[in-house]
Amino acid sequence: MWTLLLLGVALASPSSSVLVQAAEAELARATDLRLPDSPPPYLLSYELLDGQVASVEASFGALTSTDQGPYRVLRVEVRVGDYALDNGNFEGSFGERSGTTQRLLPDEDDVLALRREIWLATDEAYKGATEQLSGKLAAREGSTRSFGPDLYRVEPLVTEPVEWGEVPAEPLEELVRELSGRLVGRGLEEGRASARAWQGARLLISSEGHRAWIPTGYAVVRVEAVTRAEDGARLRDVRSWVVRDAASLPEREQMGAEVDAMVDWLVGLQTAPVEGDYLGPVLFEGPAALELFRQLLAAEISGTPPMELPPEDVGEGGQVPTARIGRRLLPLGWSVVDDPARAEEEGLAGGYTVDFEGVPAQRVELVEDGVVRRLLMSRVPRQGMEGSTGHGRSLGSNRREAMPAAVRIEPARPKGEGRLQKKGLRLARPTLQPYLLVVEEMEPPAVSEDFQVAFSGEGPLPGLTRPTRAWRLYPDGRREPVRGLSFVGVDRRVLRDIVLAGRTEDPVGVMDAAPGSQRFGIGTLGGLPASWAVPAVLIGELELSGSPGREQRVLKMP
Amino acid sequence: MVDRVNRRLRLAPWTSGAPVNPARLLGPALALTALLGTAALARTLPPPDPEPDPLHLALQAELTRAWELLQAQPEPPYWLQVAVMDRRMRSIQATHGATGTWRDDRGRIGDVDLRVGSPELDNTRKIRDAGWFSDVPRARFEVPIEDQGGAIQLGLWRGIDDSYRGAVRQLIRVRANDAVKVESRDSSADFSPSPPQVELRAVPSVELDPQAWTDLVREASAVFLSYPDVHDSNVSFAAEDQVRHILSSEGTRLRLPQSFVRLSISASTTAEDGMRLDVYDYVDGASPGAMPDREKTLAMAHAVAQRVTDLRKAPIVDPYVGPAILRGRAAAVFFHEVLGHRVEGHRQKDEDEGQTFTDKVGQPVLPAFLDVVDDPTLARVGGVDLNGHYRYDDEGVAAQRVSVVEAGILRGFLMSRSPIQGFGTSNGHARRQPGAAPVARQGNLIISARQSVSYTELRRQLIAQVRAQGRPFGLVFDDITGGFTFTGRVTPNAFNVQPVSVWKVFPDGRPDELVRGVDLIGTPLTTFERILAASDQVDVFNGSCGAESGWVPVAAVAPDLLVAEVEVQRKEKAHDRPPLLPPPLPATTKAEVR
Repeated sequence: MWTLLLLGVALASPSSSVLVQAAEAELARATDLRLPDSPPPYLLSYELLDGQVASVEASFGALTSTDQGPYRVLRVEVRVGDYALDNGNFEGSFGERSGTTQRLLPDEDDVLALRREIWLATDEAYKGATEQLSGKLAAREGSTRSFGPDLYRVEPLVTEPVEWGEVPAEPLEELVRELSGRLVGRGLEEGRASARAWQGARLLISSEGHRAWIPTGYAVVRVEAVTRAEDGARLRDVRSWVVRDAASLPEREQMGAEVDAMVDWLVGLQTAPVEGDYLGPVLFEGPAALELFRQLLAAEISGTPPMELPPEDVGEGGQVPTARIGRRLLPLGWSVVDDPARAEEEGLAGGYTVDFEGVPAQRVELVEDGVVRRLLMSRVPRQGMEGSTGHGRSLGSNRREAMPAAVRIEPARPKGEGRLQKKGLRLARPTLQPYLLVVEEMEPPAVSEDFQVAFSGEGPLPGLTRPTRAWRLYPDGRREPVRGLSFVGVDRRVLRDIVLAGRTEDPVGVMDAAPGSQRFGIGTLGGLPASWAVPAVLIGELELSGSPGREQRVLKMP
Repeated sequence: MVDRVNRRLRLAPWTSGAPVNPARLLGPALALTALLGTAALARTLPPPDPEPDPLHLALQAELTRAWELLQAQPEPPYWLQVAVMDRRMRSIQATHGATGTWRDDRGRIGDVDLRVGSPELDNTRKIRDAGWFSDVPRARFEVPIEDQGGAIQLGLWRGIDDSYRGAVRQLIRVRANDAVKVESRDSSADFSPSPPQVELRAVPSVELDPQAWTDLVREASAVFLSYPDVHDSNVSFAAEDQVRHILSSEGTRLRLPQSFVRLSISASTTAEDGMRLDVYDYVDGASPGAMPDREKTLAMAHAVAQRVTDLRKAPIVDPYVGPAILRGRAAAVFFHEVLGHRVEGHRQKDEDEGQTFTDKVGQPVLPAFLDVVDDPTLARVGGVDLNGHYRYDDEGVAAQRVSVVEAGILRGFLMSRSPIQGFGTSNGHARRQPGAAPVARQGNLIISARQSVSYTELRRQLIAQVRAQGRPFGLVFDDITGGFTFTGRVTPNAFNVQPVSVWKVFPDGRPDELVRGVDLIGTPLTTFERILAASDQVDVFNGSCGAESGWVPVAAVAPDLLVAEVEVQRKEKAHDRPPLLPPPLPATTKAEVR
């Protein structure tokens, strides 16, 4: 019953012809757009995202919100100039328009209504593009620097309409009720489960000849629990599942067992010691290893250059892209590959055959022998790169940027867990601590409560989000949970200091966004799916600081 | 990914003034000490509920438990109130003749209001000369939409605990601030007594036919397709069924259902000079039965479309000073902004406020032919449901009719349970949007004239004024979208009322001319002195008012008013060219629209 409900019934897509008709009609008209003394559009691109979404949340077994229905949004991108120099990739002053606009569309299949929305959005985007180009030209006036092209040409993609399933809210409601209900009676202060499932397609129609239906879908479930330590410290843990659709979620018994294990851990943590200032080897296992790589590696393999800014916002130094070919990122013998099409074949979150820009996804061998050799690319060009690799994705009206989709990291000589622990303990011997710190989980950036993450927008100031599950491993094999930890001064260079690694584990789905500020504001259920397959790693030396709680509750829990 | 903004709120027509400084109270407790027996205020727990309501049972259980436990603390609370706003919002909207999807959304928000110290001096007192961002965050709590007692109780427990710890911290600051600062001009206490109220009203089931409303908004929306000058439009229907639950340590226990229904129609265009023109019309009511029928709805849509079309061609009026008539709805908003916000009780005590009327009780503030009351107990006027109707305010005090101005003389203020000099008790005007602390707000502000004339006569008097003042024309403000006012001292104590339709009236008998591009501006005392006459017709403005305690539904009722002199200033304007291509029209081809 559960599976049947989740799968629902595949919807025929009566909408498809109506959406195509509306977009084609307005695309044809929009070629006539002209402003005095300004270039006409050389590229018009319409994306109509059409689908079904259900979002639900429950607290301690009772629903707090539920929402289900169709979702249809239009994204219009107008480019003026030409492929070598256009309005794109430039960020003007705060509040200035760009060539990209978004509008919600009516759910009814009415060609005229859809055309009017497209007409208004196109008009706005063309005016925005003209202003954006003028801002860019003004910013470059007098510049002695050379600038590369603004957009890669691609072959137009033509595909048949696709179908998608209904996304009923009831099974998700039942799921979050049950999962959050498991948090009752365990002495938790907060306990909630939330879920979102989305199925649909992205219709891409452009003046370049794209006529493509690109399927899209994911399901995300998060369970969050909060308790308090004896000294008042807030202890929080989050368990997440990200899969390609709701039917691909694990069995509920398995999810429930994971939730139970999370609560057991949290309850145990109430009396755990606060880790002091730690300086020594750290073993990252499971989800923590994933977060380590995701947070430190994503920007190093995403090749999209930063947006060009007016000179007054940049200063003399200019903008330097984070990712660099030829940089040693990992130890000798390591490799990193991103292959969305293979992930699609395997049914993984983040898998696809065509990216948001209609470019077929390529397998990209990013890191060879520890050194960055290629980069993920969208249609935004970069010196030395040949074209898009089919990794152009982003949220909403943001520029389509290269974003990791299905990353697999392979170490040179993988070792078993025992070897990693043994080596870690040996490295710990000369330090002040007679134990190895093992980090098993870290806060996903999307749900981090760290003020610094929210404030900086770019990422946690310490370089990594906080560990939520960490323990001391003593030479005698004893494990002792610790709490209150934060990293200090971590950056990508620590990846070169990996001493040993385990075998690459099965891919795990995450919700993410392109590296940058988008990544930390996607919210509990937002973002785009991706998957990462990473090994456990032992890093020779890292610094962490510990902090105890500040304030106890006054009232006893009911 | 999903962004379902409540368009009803986004389109709320009445953006009323949000004074810069939060309304908290000043002055040590001296005058009302005898009235404020702490024990009498707070130590009685409510009687058992005759009709067990699972939500109330859970809230009451935790309120009672927390209250008793907190009494053992060194700084026990002397008042604790728990409120839950339960909302069900059903809505549908259409644009260009096509609809969205019928939505049926449910949500609950919980509020905790807790006072420590004593009624004479408590944690809610305003910190004078406070730094930026120094406010203690208010405690809200998560309330499931399903009545599961354990989950509800846990949420409330956290809310009360957070609220209590915040209150104790704030009281330390309040006491220090009181010691450091000079004595306040108004040394009233911080909280006044009020008898506990128990009223558990049955929650009615409001039946709606989703298909019928979907068909109606679609049909009305399609009207705009035949008006080529209308670029964008929206028709929406929204029915919000609220149930306010209020329980307090004094024994108050209230369950207050109330419905708000709105059918709204909006359209916009861009004039050739770049000015964006929006026309918004709507009908508010307390039940679906108050909504217009199909014919009236279609007529509204046509009227909005025609008004947009006419405004697009209308000339812009230059800044002007001269006589004007404010038609009923415009006059109602004018009074709401100019008088209403300035008679809200807490502003009389806050020395950062302009306090225009604080010392004018017993003195003339309006022409002698005008009376002003604020009466939340009034549900309807002339067959029109009033948005500002409520039975109890957000501090659990029964709503009262308040005489604000009698025969032009200022008589009173709108009061919450925060006393001010000369006004020691609440008159049931504490209001808030869920999540904010309640302060004194307007409900139904009703302006009435002891002497009135017909509208024809009022127009004749306008033309006489135009001639007497040697002006080329007078103005009639027909309808408005909203307005705002500044009541603080840092900014000029001015108001701005934003009209939709303004007509020039000429003394030589030429037809009236629709004009655009101006806002009505002024300062309160000067403007009130210039009101000359009122008509015998009244009109109702229903809307939402935003101020420091959030958005609350309000109404204002007023006759047409003749004002000897108003000032208008140029409206803020966009500069975009109108859409470069003509709109796609029904059954057009590419060749036809070029």
